[in-house]
Amino acid sequence: MTFDEIYKIYWQKIFRLCLGYVNDFDWAKDIAQETFIIVWQQLPKFRNESAIGTWIFRIATNNCLRQIEKDKRSPKAALPDDLKEEKQPSIEPQIRFLYQCIAELPETDRIIISLELEDVKQTEIASITGLSEANVRVKIHRIKEKLSQKFKAHAHEQ
Amino acid sequence: MSSNIDFKALWQQQPVSQSDMKDLMNRLYQFKQSNIRRLIKTNILLVATSLFIGFVWYYYQPQLISTKIGIVIIILAMVIFLFVYNKMFALFNKIDNTSDNAHYLQNLIVIKGKQRFLQHTMMNLYFTMLMVGICLYMYEYTSRMTMTAGIITYAVTLIWVVFNWFYLRPKTIKKQQAKLDDLISKFEGINKQLSV
Repeated sequence: MTFDEIYKIYWQKIFRLCLGYVNDFDWAKDIAQETFIIVWQQLPKFRNESAIGTWIFRIATNNCLRQIEKDKRSPKAALPDDLKEEKQPSIEPQIRFLYQCIAELPETDRIIISLELEDVKQTEIASITGLSEANVRVKIHRIKEKLSQKFKAHAHEQ
Repeated sequence: MSSNIDFKALWQQQPVSQSDMKDLMNRLYQFKQSNIRRLIKTNILLVATSLFIGFVWYYYQPQLISTKIGIVIIILAMVIFLFVYNKMFALFNKIDNTSDNAHYLQNLIVIKGKQRFLQHTMMNLYFTMLMVGICLYMYEYTSRMTMTAGIITYAVTLIWVVFNWFYLRPKTIKKQQAKLDDLISKFEGINKQLSV
């Protein structure tokens, strides 16, 4: 598979994964781009030992995990709300709430649920995160329950 | 699942930022450039200083062995610093970012630990060698001055040395270590999430 093809197929998926992780449009774009830079660098070394999707998601999630090192990003949240709003394309409040809830989860849970929602098979999620399949299944179940509760609470508030 | 919210559908409705290839290639180019530039900057600085000292050696022809030893120690301090700095850089490039999250985090923790050790030892070694080197180097030139001028010169240098050792060195090390410790503990925290 050429880099161009990979980019076309995976850009959206990787972007959403990053967005779920940080819940910041520009930041997510940055991480997604960084991920593809690494993909571009590592592609000649790709040996078909795993599916290309698993391989790319591993790079992307590892890259997300490393974002802690760039904590200078956080002051961005201090920007006036209306200024921040402009940068985000207007989307349904429910979608925005989902991404917000996911970004509030513990780091690895964000990755697991994002992959699940991206329709990645649970065996693959296990291979991306290094967890056992059974563990992945349990975690997904718990995270979904947590999200449902948050959604319910949110619906009641409104 | 008890709820009937379709998270998958919601998730996939999220509008996605369209990054074009050109934009990406630009960044790729910049990324390569900045890495190389960073490496060159540090190396040039140290190489230039060493060259300058070499020039002093050649031009002023120091007579005493202490001056020569001083020069060698100063250059050696810089070379070691350079070597370790470059090695640290290579360390980061070696992390396999295609391994699974659990292994990646473990590797990251190990490497950060190594970096912590390197920085600590290096800073101490670098400061010590630099000070010893400077003191030795100065001896020949101060010995030609009058007694008072010589004492003043050494006094000023030693004050500067003491300031470096007791203020700048601990401060630099502390700052670096605090940052690394913080990162290591955060990575360990995430790693724990995976083992629960």
